[in-house]
Amino acid sequence: MTITLSGISKTFGDITAVHPLDLTVPEGSFFALLGASGCGKTTTLRMLAGLEEPTGGTILLGDDDITHLPPHKRPVNTVFQNYALFPHLDIAENVAFGLRRRGVKSVREQVAEMLDLVQLGDLARRKPRQLSGGQQQRVALARALINRPRVLLLDEPLGALDLKLRRQMQLELKRIQTEVGITFVHVTHDQEEAMTMADSVAVMHRGRVIQLGPPAELYENPRSTFVANFLGTSNLFEAEILSPQSTLGPRAEAAEKGLKPVEAGMSAEGETPERAETPAVAGTAEVSEGTSAAEVPGETRVKVAGADVTLRLPTSRCAVESVEGAEGVEEGRKILVGVRPEKIALLHPGEAEAVPATDNQLTGRIKDAGYLGVSWQYLVETPACSDLTVYEQNVERDTRLTAGADVVLHWRPAHTFALDAAQDAAAGEEVL
Amino acid sequence: MTALAPLAGTPETPPAPESGAGPGDGAGPGPGSSGRPGRRLTPYWLLLPAGLWLAVFFVAPLFYQASTSVQSGSLEEGFRVTWQFSNYSDALAAYGEHFLRSFGYAATATVLCLVIGYPLAYMIAFRAGRWRNLVLVMVIAPFFTSFLIRTLAWKTILSDGGPVVGALSSLHVLDVTSWLGLTGDERLLATPLAVVCGLTYNFLPFMILPLYSSLERIDTSLHEAARDLYATPATTFRKVTFPLSLPGVVAGTLLTFIPASGDYINAQLLGSPNEQMVGNAIQKQFLNVLDYPTAAAMSFLLMALILIMVSVYMRKAGTEELV
Repeated sequence: MTITLSGISKTFGDITAVHPLDLTVPEGSFFALLGASGCGKTTTLRMLAGLEEPTGGTILLGDDDITHLPPHKRPVNTVFQNYALFPHLDIAENVAFGLRRRGVKSVREQVAEMLDLVQLGDLARRKPRQLSGGQQQRVALARALINRPRVLLLDEPLGALDLKLRRQMQLELKRIQTEVGITFVHVTHDQEEAMTMADSVAVMHRGRVIQLGPPAELYENPRSTFVANFLGTSNLFEAEILSPQSTLGPRAEAAEKGLKPVEAGMSAEGETPERAETPAVAGTAEVSEGTSAAEVPGETRVKVAGADVTLRLPTSRCAVESVEGAEGVEEGRKILVGVRPEKIALLHPGEAEAVPATDNQLTGRIKDAGYLGVSWQYLVETPACSDLTVYEQNVERDTRLTAGADVVLHWRPAHTFALDAAQDAAAGEEVL
Repeated sequence: MTALAPLAGTPETPPAPESGAGPGDGAGPGPGSSGRPGRRLTPYWLLLPAGLWLAVFFVAPLFYQASTSVQSGSLEEGFRVTWQFSNYSDALAAYGEHFLRSFGYAATATVLCLVIGYPLAYMIAFRAGRWRNLVLVMVIAPFFTSFLIRTLAWKTILSDGGPVVGALSSLHVLDVTSWLGLTGDERLLATPLAVVCGLTYNFLPFMILPLYSSLERIDTSLHEAARDLYATPATTFRKVTFPLSLPGVVAGTLLTFIPASGDYINAQLLGSPNEQMVGNAIQKQFLNVLDYPTAAAMSFLLMALILIMVSVYMRKAGTEELV
């Protein structure tokens, strides 16, 4: 069933939990409402369940207006955050509860089938408190699914499980959703959970949906600092738009200064011949980067604040809005340049010539190198940003890349994005 | 739904049943622990004050009364233990009516307390919001005055020609209660109704507090889960709220019924000789007639009957599997 929220809002006294919200959840989709606590995602879910009366707006389920329908009359079931299993009833009776309320006479077969589905058949006569957290979670799921709701609402259903079990249940939930084809609306503060399971994610912040889309789009192309920081990690640093259009301009000088720190740790002379092969704008090795300054249509060039480094990115990835006195992407506009840590490659300065000419390039010095198992995490001090995070896959690590070493960082312009500088660069960073 | 395959691999197993090492052998560290020997005695030291108190003020008097109840003789000649068990049958024969009346009044007062107390406890637990503590204090407030004074106050309230009698009379309520045999002669005082009202009033907090504490513990998300699972508000109460509040109902009814059965102040102050309860009879035997063996036998009878009724009740209520 397609769910259509139109202008739905909720206020508690003076506090607006949800600002007027328009949202369409397509039939059969796995839809996640993602946000930090207090962002209004649970309130939105509770309005769908009928547990909270909206202050304004309408909720349509298919073509039916369910805005003012009490919860027991809605073809919607919920898996509650703390499971909310009835402690005085055994597992089978918990699962049968919804069927019995609707006057279904013989529930035994359906309950047994449902309990087998969640592999709890032999625990049917246990009380909820005798079950582990993961088992209780599955009882809660069975209790909701047995009613074959049009929409299943999940309120942080995996929040109380440990990491391994959570990962496993994420895949299970996704599989069940695919098989039953019911629309799932899932509320979570865990961005990984949302990205693993959902077809579509709405990121909520302070009672508004600030970006909506498939997980990959949100991750690759965040349109605000909150999304950039809340979904995974982003390196954000201030910059200024140089040329919004494809006007040519050598970046040699800028690149030279930007690369200065590298010179200390590398043999610049040794590099020169190879670099010289490229139609260098100037004679120094560093300038070779300038060769990529050839304009590519649809690219915007930006100058990093506080450092003479020029970077390039697709204009389509500039989330800079038109405001009074400034058109979106225009020269001189202050922006925040972002790049995901795993997009950046680290090279020892001795191998800097391997950097593709079209790549964005920075130099820096490693402040800290942390071993995470699947990857190494580096903190690099660069002219652009004093704490640039880089993830390198743990495959063949250059042993020279240790704390204190000079490095060359590079990444593709297409992996770069730009955000309006008029927002808090640290928004969404606080991890819950 | 049938198309669904079972959920894959479930590593966690149900929690193991409690092992035999219960609290029973908790008297100090187990063998092999390096605690000082004195520490093993600590629990007993902690039990000592309560144990002494019980021994001196409960066990000893109990035995003394037990022996008194099988004595014979008179005040002048002195009482001697003659194993005269007829004290019991005589007491029951002479005061059976008092026993019945006591349990009848106490049961009625308990039901009234439940009917009045449950909605109140429910409101305090779920609806009172920031007024919750204030309302709780108001429930307990009467305890700041002595039991006796409060009952005496009721005597004034219910007095003949008082506003309550006047109001109920003009509303013809007294006609109804009179027809039911609860009142008579256009008056409230010295009627069964007055005694039951007094008992209800005096023991109401003992009903409300345990009810409140069991209701307050109910997770409100259970109500939401029930409503989400197609239960109307009434069904939610019947299937979820009430069953979960049963421990409070049992505790409240016991705390009301037991002391109300043995109460004599209400019957004394608000009733007439026709409303005498077993407590009044025991008091009379002890303090006026000075027939100690009969009084002691009646005390033991009362205790035994209450014990029987309570254990039957607990067994009944226990089938609901209290949480």
